[in-house]
Amino acid sequence: MKKKLVSALLITGMLSSMFAGCGKSAGGGGAVNADGIKEFTAFFAVPGNEINNDNEIQGLIAEKTGCKVKESWLTGQSAEEAVGTFIAGGEYPDFIDGGNSSVQLYEAGALIPIDEYYDDYPNIRNYFTDQEWDMLRQSDGHIYWIPQFSKINGEERVCQHNDEAFWIQTRVLEWAGYPEVHTMDQYFDLIESYNEANPTMEDGTANIPYTILCDDWRYFCLENAPQFLDGYPNDGSVIVDPETLTVIDYNTTPTAKKYFEKLNEEYKKGIVDQESFTQTYDEYIAKLSTGRVLGMIDQWWDFYNTAGDAIKSAGLDKQGCEYVPLPITIEEGMTNQWHNSGGAFNASSGLAITTSCPDVEGALQFVNDLLAQDVHDLRFWGVEGVDYEVGDDGLYYRTPEMRTNCADSSYKAAHLCFYSYFPQFNGTSQDGKNAMKPENQENEFYDGLSDNLKKCFDAYGVKTYVEMLGTSPAPGPWYPMYSYSQTLTTSTPGGVAWNKIGEVKHEYLPKVVMAENFEAGWEDYMKVYNECKPEDFLSEMQTELERRVEMAAKYQ
Amino acid sequence: MKTKKLSKIEFKHQRVLIVWAAIICLYGFIFYYVPLVGWLMAFQNYKPVLGVFKSEFIGLDKFKFLFEDESFIRVIRNTFAMGIINLVCTFVMAILFAILLNEIKTKGSKKVVQTISYLPHFLSWIIVTGILHDALSGSGIINELLMNFHIISKPIDFFAHEGYFWPIVAFANVWKETGWNAIIYLAAITSIDPSLYEAAAIDGAGRWAKIKHVTLPGIKPTIMILLLMNVGNILNAGFEIQYLLGNGLVQKVSQTIDIYVLKWGISQADYSLGTAAGIFKSVVSIGLILVFNNIAKRHGEERLF
Amino acid sequence: MEQKRRRKKISGADLAFRICNGIFMIAFVIVTLYPVLNTLAISFNEGTDALRGGIYLWPRVFTLKNYTTVLQKDNLITGAYITVLRTIIGTLLALVTNAILAFIVSRKNFIFAKSVSLFWVITMYVNGGLIPTFLLYKSLGLTNSFAVYVIPGMISAFNMLVIRTYMRGIPDSLEESAQLDGAGYTTIFLKIISPLCKPVYATVALFVAVFQWNSWFDAMLYNRMSTQYTTLQYELMKLLSSVSNQSSSAEAMKNSEGSITPTSIRAAATIVTMLPIVCIYPFLQKYFVTGLTLGGVKE
Repeated sequence: MKKKLVSALLITGMLSSMFAGCGKSAGGGGAVNADGIKEFTAFFAVPGNEINNDNEIQGLIAEKTGCKVKESWLTGQSAEEAVGTFIAGGEYPDFIDGGNSSVQLYEAGALIPIDEYYDDYPNIRNYFTDQEWDMLRQSDGHIYWIPQFSKINGEERVCQHNDEAFWIQTRVLEWAGYPEVHTMDQYFDLIESYNEANPTMEDGTANIPYTILCDDWRYFCLENAPQFLDGYPNDGSVIVDPETLTVIDYNTTPTAKKYFEKLNEEYKKGIVDQESFTQTYDEYIAKLSTGRVLGMIDQWWDFYNTAGDAIKSAGLDKQGCEYVPLPITIEEGMTNQWHNSGGAFNASSGLAITTSCPDVEGALQFVNDLLAQDVHDLRFWGVEGVDYEVGDDGLYYRTPEMRTNCADSSYKAAHLCFYSYFPQFNGTSQDGKNAMKPENQENEFYDGLSDNLKKCFDAYGVKTYVEMLGTSPAPGPWYPMYSYSQTLTTSTPGGVAWNKIGEVKHEYLPKVVMAENFEAGWEDYMKVYNECKPEDFLSEMQTELERRVEMAAKYQ
Repeated sequence: MKTKKLSKIEFKHQRVLIVWAAIICLYGFIFYYVPLVGWLMAFQNYKPVLGVFKSEFIGLDKFKFLFEDESFIRVIRNTFAMGIINLVCTFVMAILFAILLNEIKTKGSKKVVQTISYLPHFLSWIIVTGILHDALSGSGIINELLMNFHIISKPIDFFAHEGYFWPIVAFANVWKETGWNAIIYLAAITSIDPSLYEAAAIDGAGRWAKIKHVTLPGIKPTIMILLLMNVGNILNAGFEIQYLLGNGLVQKVSQTIDIYVLKWGISQADYSLGTAAGIFKSVVSIGLILVFNNIAKRHGEERLF
Repeated sequence: MEQKRRRKKISGADLAFRICNGIFMIAFVIVTLYPVLNTLAISFNEGTDALRGGIYLWPRVFTLKNYTTVLQKDNLITGAYITVLRTIIGTLLALVTNAILAFIVSRKNFIFAKSVSLFWVITMYVNGGLIPTFLLYKSLGLTNSFAVYVIPGMISAFNMLVIRTYMRGIPDSLEESAQLDGAGYTTIFLKIISPLCKPVYATVALFVAVFQWNSWFDAMLYNRMSTQYTTLQYELMKLLSSVSNQSSSAEAMKNSEGSITPTSIRAAATIVTMLPIVCIYPFLQKYFVTGLTLGGVKE
């Protein structure tokens, strides 16, 4: 017994010392590996898709650029925690995107001023205009990060409406002969009359006319419609009046009251799903997936890749259970801004290079190379002949098999390499024909649609989801205001108010919709709402709005 | 009580104990007590950039913020309530299960039952709450059963009423952890001298009498120790389960201190607030431990120290 | 003993007890087995189909895709190797150190027994927070190393107290007679006390092993950039996070045949992690289910 114990201890000791021995700090830092490829490390403070070590396209890009980057993503932690630990430890990966905590990285002196180098890298220098670069300058006048997603090259190309809308199933529109639906009242009338005529699906399952997702942060499906109904874009936390340049609280507008009163009325009629406010996200997706739900408000990305897929794979597209967006406002004749052109330029975060990176020039050269058209095509389209074909007209397309592959997660991990948090382009390719990204290629898009969707689009004379809504010009230079409200903390009265408002809305908006007496319910809500001191929040938003407008004014 | 005195002989005798205790406590000091420097953050406006030693001191502001906030008082109440309910339910169930399992005399079925009982421990909360949510939904099995037996006439929306929330959480805890928690008691039962059972049998004791007079007293020290430890953990009533089962309609009863800290502290990068709440929890826990340890001492029961 | 009982007439009350107990156990087994079987069914069901709900004990659209996805995860082998290693080493280290400490504080005449106990009890209820802990480990050279898995959590007051309670139940007479024979504390610990503590050692070993097996947060926090020290659970967490993330990335015209979802991957990953423990468990189980066949206290 004793002998056994001693030997066990010995082995233990040996093993641990062995492991402690090779505990040197791990790779990265532009170290050159055996194949002569520079290896960098990167951390992005968002959840992301990890790719395999021997990823094929990553290898191809490494051959072209001489560099590869080992990316790691946020897992089971908040961005603030992750970045806070990096700062405390004082060691960083070579590349970093700190998300909402980017400013903390800057304050910690962890980042390299990109503007001292970028003149040598034309693709980086030309990525933004001077005005855009200036919006990125921090308090010391330097630029530390590059927002990756908003750059549009050439003509904008968008097929999907990736954002929020009132969605409706094509079978409802088809039954009604593809009517024009412009107001909330028309929308609910349509759903009601359809449900009266067709209370069940083909297999006898009862329809759910309208459901509201209200799970935790996803309660935007309930709460922020008033801004769109009044014809404003998705500034998130407030409406900005472009005439007077003041912020407006969309929670208390007459439109907000009308919207919730309508929901209350429909709830009492049984049109609004009675389980709306207690269902989890999974249950909501399950409902949508069975094709029972006729309509709802949601963001496209929040339901399409799950429920949308399930509907297609169950063949429910043939019953017209797919969703299309409708251009709805509170009254007839208003312009809607459910869809805006131009990317949302979010100056609050982006890709940065850290002081731990020993080869800043090499790192910047790599970013520069990633923006070259051939590398960009590799990143987003893949390998020609494997992931896409080129037609006689020079247009890229994918065969059904390629589409299946590119949607498969194992294939993606082994083969595709988006470098998705490095700077990239939207819009049109340098060749002037193709879209920078496959999802925005019109021919590809239309070919992939089901017959019922094509029929619906044809009836309205449109080709894409976006055309269903129409496109509004990009909002003013302050847009989007949510990039500021996201960064509020309890250290200011506005931040405290913002947090409290969230709490109150989570509780009272469902109560208002379910209230026996709407007026009384609304009064209760307003009373509690005003106790949160929304004016504190609004005045901080107003200050930020003015700062942004002033910044932009320098260039006019 | 015998007073202890460190005589020279005793010291020599106990030297090996003292040396080992010192080494192990040094380890404990480094890994458990040194990080408590971080408690300074509660009295600072902590910025990761400046670190613990250079951040600006703001005194008791963070504590004031907490205790002036009505909703913090409410989450303390929720945490205590759920902590106590969970403690009682999981505790009673685990002991009951261990004892009843011990009464199964067929070895095979005993092993099988025990193996199955601890399996839910390995499921994550998100899986367990998902299943529970389904079962309790409007068309779920519970509502269906209640309707079939005509106990209710229309489905109950269990998650829309504040009154159901705490019992649901308690049930989920019992469901997931009973078998796992019972393992300690099963181990303790093995230490009971079988001759005691034989003696009891000779005295004509039935099953219940044996459980009452042999099994329970035999595992009482274990019960006491676990009870004391868990009393100190009452404020750790949980985070995930309440977060996953809660919704806006019941948030007044569902939010715990940990959820509050996440909402106001971590997600807003306010480390100081989170630390202040953590200190509050530690102080209450240690206070509870001291009180209950003393009660145990007065009753001559097994105690923590 | 068992035979003796069987020969006796089973009384009415005894029979009623057995029946009630049997019913209770069957009900308990059904209720606890259901979520596991449900997870098993979902793990074999096609992902998008499972989104529609309504899967109970049997998969509706059978597939192995979830398992192949999990098992094809990059670095999974490294992760599994490190996890096995940390489970073995971590459990051994924890068992030895906790047992030593428990032995020390369970000696009734040990002069510092009370203060050492208090010292450890307090560690259960205080926590310096993420960042100070991180800085400490970094300054001790534990970051980017294997040691961070097995050194920091080695001694825990909970496990120590569980062992201590058990040791206190062992009659003092054993120790006293050994002392009269001239045995020192080391001998008493190794030869007298430890052999009697097998059930509680098995219990604590199980607790530590399961904790080690399921750990991933430390791998992420301290070895994020050192993939050679990744763990199984961390790799599975990353996979899950990747899959969840796909639903928020804009992907056009996804053809969805045989696609996977967070729910289905989570189910498969749960089963994959659970299986080794279920297999190893019977070896430990004999120590706390079979009852006292260890020869009693008279050794």
